[in-house]
Amino acid sequence: MNAPYDLTAAVARAPAEAAAAEAPLLELRAATVRVPGREFGPFDLRLAAGERVAILGPSGAGKSTLLKLMAGERSAAAGSVWLAGAALNGQPLARMARRRAVLPQAHAVAFGMAVELIVGLGRYAIEPDAQRTRIVAEALATAHAAHLVGRRFDTLSGGEQARVQLARVMAQLWDVQGALLLVDEPLAALDPGLQIELLEAITDYAARRGHALVAIVHDINQALAGFDRLWLVQDGRLAGDLKPGRAALPRLAELFGVELQWVGDAQHFAVAVRRRSTAGAA
Amino acid sequence: MAAHAEVAGAAVARAVPAVSTAVPGAWWVGLGLGAALLLALLAAAMSGAVAVQWSDWAALAQAERSGGALVLWELRLPRALFAAAVGAALGLAGALAQGLFRNPLADPGLLGVTAGAVCAVALVLTFFATVAAGLPPAWRPWVLPLAAFGGALAVCFVLDGVARWLMPGSIAGLLLTGLALNALAGAVVGLSVYVADDEQLRSLTFWTLGSLAGASWPVVGLLGLALAIGLWQGARLAKALNALALGESAAAHVGVDVQRLRTRLIVSVALLAALAVAWSGLIGFIGLMAPHLVRGVVGADHRAVLPLSALAGALLLLLADTVARTVVIPAELPVGIVTALIGAPVFMLLLRRMALRQGGHA
Amino acid sequence: MRKLLSPPQARRRRALRAAAAVAAGCIAPALRAQGAPVRRVVAVGGSLTETVYALGAEAELVGVDTTSIYPPQAAQLPRVGYLRQLSAEGVLSLRPTLVVAAASVGPPAVVRQLQAARVGFELFDTDHRLDGVLAMARRLGGVLGRADAGERLAAQIADDFARAQREVAALNAGRAPLRVLFVLSHTPHQVQIGGAGTAADAVITLAGARNALAGMRGFRPLTPEAAIAAAPDLILVTTQGLRQAGGVDGLLRAPGLAATAAGRARRVAALDALLLLGFGPRLPQAVGDLAQALHAAAPARG
Repeated sequence: MNAPYDLTAAVARAPAEAAAAEAPLLELRAATVRVPGREFGPFDLRLAAGERVAILGPSGAGKSTLLKLMAGERSAAAGSVWLAGAALNGQPLARMARRRAVLPQAHAVAFGMAVELIVGLGRYAIEPDAQRTRIVAEALATAHAAHLVGRRFDTLSGGEQARVQLARVMAQLWDVQGALLLVDEPLAALDPGLQIELLEAITDYAARRGHALVAIVHDINQALAGFDRLWLVQDGRLAGDLKPGRAALPRLAELFGVELQWVGDAQHFAVAVRRRSTAGAA
Repeated sequence: MAAHAEVAGAAVARAVPAVSTAVPGAWWVGLGLGAALLLALLAAAMSGAVAVQWSDWAALAQAERSGGALVLWELRLPRALFAAAVGAALGLAGALAQGLFRNPLADPGLLGVTAGAVCAVALVLTFFATVAAGLPPAWRPWVLPLAAFGGALAVCFVLDGVARWLMPGSIAGLLLTGLALNALAGAVVGLSVYVADDEQLRSLTFWTLGSLAGASWPVVGLLGLALAIGLWQGARLAKALNALALGESAAAHVGVDVQRLRTRLIVSVALLAALAVAWSGLIGFIGLMAPHLVRGVVGADHRAVLPLSALAGALLLLLADTVARTVVIPAELPVGIVTALIGAPVFMLLLRRMALRQGGHA
Repeated sequence: MRKLLSPPQARRRRALRAAAAVAAGCIAPALRAQGAPVRRVVAVGGSLTETVYALGAEAELVGVDTTSIYPPQAAQLPRVGYLRQLSAEGVLSLRPTLVVAAASVGPPAVVRQLQAARVGFELFDTDHRLDGVLAMARRLGGVLGRADAGERLAAQIADDFARAQREVAALNAGRAPLRVLFVLSHTPHQVQIGGAGTAADAVITLAGARNALAGMRGFRPLTPEAAIAAAPDLILVTTQGLRQAGGVDGLLRAPGLAATAAGRARRVAALDALLLLGFGPRLPQAVGDLAQALHAAAPARG
């Protein structure tokens, strides 16, 4: 049973309205990814600075592919991707590193490097970097990982490793405004208390700097409580672009093939997830 | 609390001891290794089958050297410096290869360097023996080294090209293609062994055992130059190697040009390892052991690991060669045997330590 | 002013003087005979070492390589390594004035280093003919300052060889030359057979037999097809190789040998490796011994 969430206080200062009048931070125009045997897309999406988007969908639907498309890791076989007004294809890597950061799902780092060295790597593309030491320390603190300074990465637990990687990503975009933060289900292996803490930390961090946040999320409650928009991905295509809320439940239930029930009111709520009882369902 | 997380974070950061991304301890280790290397060079110069006195050092300055001074100048010093240079090249190439494959068990052999060198030498000794015998005598000392060098480079670049074609953009593809090419080279060597006569077989066997007897001042100079270039390149690539440890895609996200880095790494490893192999045959385990030992002491930051691996490799090989030269006087053991005898047990110890550590974290 | 010595001291001094006189008496004639400073020779290559002993110059020998196994006294000398893998410092530590080496000495780098060390270096080419052996004896004699001894040795070898040839002719009178297959086995997996152009081929021919593998040059791996195609009357090995293979039984386990007529009848002849293949001063003896061994092991002829 899921516990009620209360993130309203944490997100109170975040910009409430998407700046639809300004040029979008990220734009996908009929962007398509092709791999042998499958096609993902076309995706037509627009994202403004400061927005928080959760990507939801069943396994294999193409969520990670969409994220990689936005990160510039996969190039669009058809259509185009635009970041901060410039086409993603062909931008110098150092410039891209100042405009978007990716927090991956897998945390493994070779060689057991020191924690502060890894966090410092987030600022690889920034030369010269007089503030690096201070920023690394502050990023570690913000990610609740300050006590891990001096440790070897391969001696950390899964949760500790996730926090160090988060600190790295934060350090990368620490001193810019209006960048893109892409996150691939990073909170999966963490205990619920830590999940809440880190989600708050990410959201707060992004809100202060006007960063847009796009996260692949598997927890429906997290998606509904912490984000401004939901992108539903199914069978390699965008199946929905909704505002989170009670009205989104039917589409979500259809997406995952489950039964969803809203518990509570608009302020304090939880969504109960159950198997489909009717015959013929997935 | 959450609302003021960032302010609190700044306060915590001030309280936390200064987080430095430099590696101050590495300087001390470097000094220590350097001093040990100088001592080892001295010891190597003073030990061997022929007795060399301290007075022979003074006699070096004379135009006509003889006796101990002659041995010192013609044999001991070039050989000691050669051993140090080859060891440094192997250590550095090993560290670069491990950085490229993001794996502490990698060594330049995975890129096909050693396979290519043995292949070329086997071919020259057997199928092309008559061609080699027909060359003018002045060229003959250069035939095997040139063949080994060319073979090593050729296989390395073929490997890179084939890997790009088969599995573009993947360093893991490099590893897999390397395994296949190594097998192919092994088959060619097997064929050469099959058709070799008694003498050729012995020559090939001894070449593969590795020997530093081919030292001479021109070769030392050449290797020293290559080493200087290699260290300079390593200094430029160290930061990128650190970032590469995050993974290829994560490295690209923080701004590393992974393809260009991969090319530069392959070229550096190939040149260093090929030069080392060309004159000394196959000497194993230095490229594997030196970076491991260094990482155990100073951590995994490549800005320290690369130069210190070179120092450690130089020291290791110099010690091994001194042992090889003095343990069965007046004969000498092939140095590759000594490095393997020491290297294999050390390698197993390292594997055990790694396994313990992996099982250790929650 | 002469110091007055006590009786024990005086006795000691007299004894020393006597010993010195005896020693001088021994060395002086040798020095007079040489008329040159003492020679220290390192010999690399079994046949060269043999020749040095045959020339009577073994007193000057200070070191040999590991292939120098004859005469047995040579085993007492310091070893400088294997013929093809010498140690430069090892050779130099014996303070040689002259190094005589077979042409296959190695590694090339060490050869160059020894030449750079201004140690006299003489290379002797291998030749699988009597002329080569005679030339080696003469040249080595000259190099060692024993030209007369060299001439005498060459003449002796030539005489012995002529006698051996007559013996061979007598043994082989009235029969076709035997087909002999020479088998060389380093390890059980690397068994090779010798074709034309090898030392084995040459000595087999000198002994009045025929190399069963005359169609090929050099050494080839032993395969059943090759062995059966060769159809040898006799299998020839070295005693060292036979011991390593585990006797006749072990040898005949090699692929194909057991299927040949020679293998089935267990007709195997073995001679010492250096004697058989060295082409040194014992060549006449090698030819004679081989002819007799072949004759003894040959299939019965009518």
